[in-house]
Amino acid sequence: MLDLYDKIEEAKAFIASQWDGTPRVGIILGTGLGPFVEQIKIAAEIDYEEIPHFPSSTATSHRGRLICGTLEGVPVVAMEGRIHLYEGHAAKLITLPVRVMRALGAEWLIASNAVGGMNPNYQAGDIMVIEDHINLMTDNPLIGVNDDRLGPRFPDMSEPYNLEMVNVALAIARKCDFVAHKGVLVAVTGPNLETRAEYRFLRLIGADVVGMSVVPEVITAVHCGLKVVGFSVVTDMCLPDALKEAVVEEIIATANAAEPKLRELVAGVVGQIGRG
Amino acid sequence: MHKDPLAASDAIKEAAHYVQSKWARVPQVGIILGSGLGGLAEAVEDPTAVSYEEIPHFPRSTAIGHQGRFVCGQLGGVGVVVMQGRFHLYEGYAIKDVTLPVHVMCRLGIETLIVSNAAGGLNPHFSAGDVMVLSGHLNRMNRRPQEGLPAEPNGAWMQSTLCPYDPQLNRLARCIARQHDFEAPLGIYVGHLGPNYETRAEYRYLRRMGADAVGMSTIPEVLIAEAHGVRTLALSAITNVCCPDALSQTTAQEVLQTASVAGEKMGKILLGVLHSHP
Repeated sequence: MLDLYDKIEEAKAFIASQWDGTPRVGIILGTGLGPFVEQIKIAAEIDYEEIPHFPSSTATSHRGRLICGTLEGVPVVAMEGRIHLYEGHAAKLITLPVRVMRALGAEWLIASNAVGGMNPNYQAGDIMVIEDHINLMTDNPLIGVNDDRLGPRFPDMSEPYNLEMVNVALAIARKCDFVAHKGVLVAVTGPNLETRAEYRFLRLIGADVVGMSVVPEVITAVHCGLKVVGFSVVTDMCLPDALKEAVVEEIIATANAAEPKLRELVAGVVGQIGRG
Repeated sequence: MHKDPLAASDAIKEAAHYVQSKWARVPQVGIILGSGLGGLAEAVEDPTAVSYEEIPHFPRSTAIGHQGRFVCGQLGGVGVVVMQGRFHLYEGYAIKDVTLPVHVMCRLGIETLIVSNAAGGLNPHFSAGDVMVLSGHLNRMNRRPQEGLPAEPNGAWMQSTLCPYDPQLNRLARCIARQHDFEAPLGIYVGHLGPNYETRAEYRYLRRMGADAVGMSTIPEVLIAEAHGVRTLALSAITNVCCPDALSQTTAQEVLQTASVAGEKMGKILLGVLHSHP
């Protein structure tokens, strides 16, 4: 992992040459949530391919641009499109952008993803504020020789998601009069969706929603000292006793329809960070 | 299967020859000392230390609180080879690096392997400083220790007894604990890849699955010993009890401190087992 430091510095230097701001918040947007960046007052747009050592995104409906600018008057850097473990990259590589955000000066990470809902009290289109996670992915971004300049060998995970901000987000949802839950995300490598038996298992072990991202980024964020806020957009319900076939187009449509809610939440949380 | 199955076994042979060139005896017991327990190696009489770095095919150890060497000699009247420091998957080592020292000890001729580790307690009846005797494990390390190795000895990979932890040794260990006036409970160890500690949701999940303690080592080593037909006793130093419903942080320093409290108890069990070794 010792080569990581130089890679981060090189990526940071390139971004700094395109944008002279210092972000307070890094934002990573998931499937179907890309339009969110329209809200950002854009100062610079950089394709991932241009940034040294950045992995490039291949997933459906994911673009690959880094957006630098301000949101609610707060300087932010946002990833439009993320890179997933199931695309075949190592966890250490896909989380490099998180470290670059930290190196640029960010104190917070806001990450969102599209997920399958397993808690029967949820509905497609609902937002879940991530309170905690279960990692069932087969790779961990921190494997390798630890670079003490980046973070501790054995990071504590007792509060990976800032619990104060979970409550702020829930209050924003109430104020805007839409449903937002607080729950547990379980992350799997994917890329196939789960069988009915697997959904039963995941529900049994205490998860409310299942997704294929966010967790490697959050582990990395905790390692490098970023405070985290996570949002999951429930794009389809995965109830094993009445399971319907998942249609990617429908999932993306639901994500797009839920996007205004996410917009409110992210803007509200960023505004709170700006005032804090 | 590895492209060249013999390469792996050559590495084992050459590494074992190197250790034999420094210490020509046949050990009866192999011992692996985990986090904070390395001090037990000082008790070895007439010791010959062989640093991992000088052994052919061995990688280097990096984890905090770990030194990397074999200490060969006499302990409790028995010929032993002690691993002071081990290789972890979270350090980025391949599974064949993690298990190579165990293959070497088995090739040197050990009949018994005693493995120790530091683990977080999940069972609410445990206290920090307890020693748990492993009665079984849940493997969620996502790596197969058999990977890349030949199907020897005797296709043993396919012949798991499904009971890698020797019940007789477990009884003996717990009996010794009682003689020293402490309880060493049996329990199930769940191995995960690490290196981060678990979230509250993960602790709840692992507890629900039936695990009593969680750590980042031991399982690959035990599976290799089992495949060689070596009987195994494994002990966990319970460094903290994870209470998912009462938020608290885990630090590496705290883990190492408590590991040394439990280390004293483990030392007693270990010496007791060696004294009773047939």
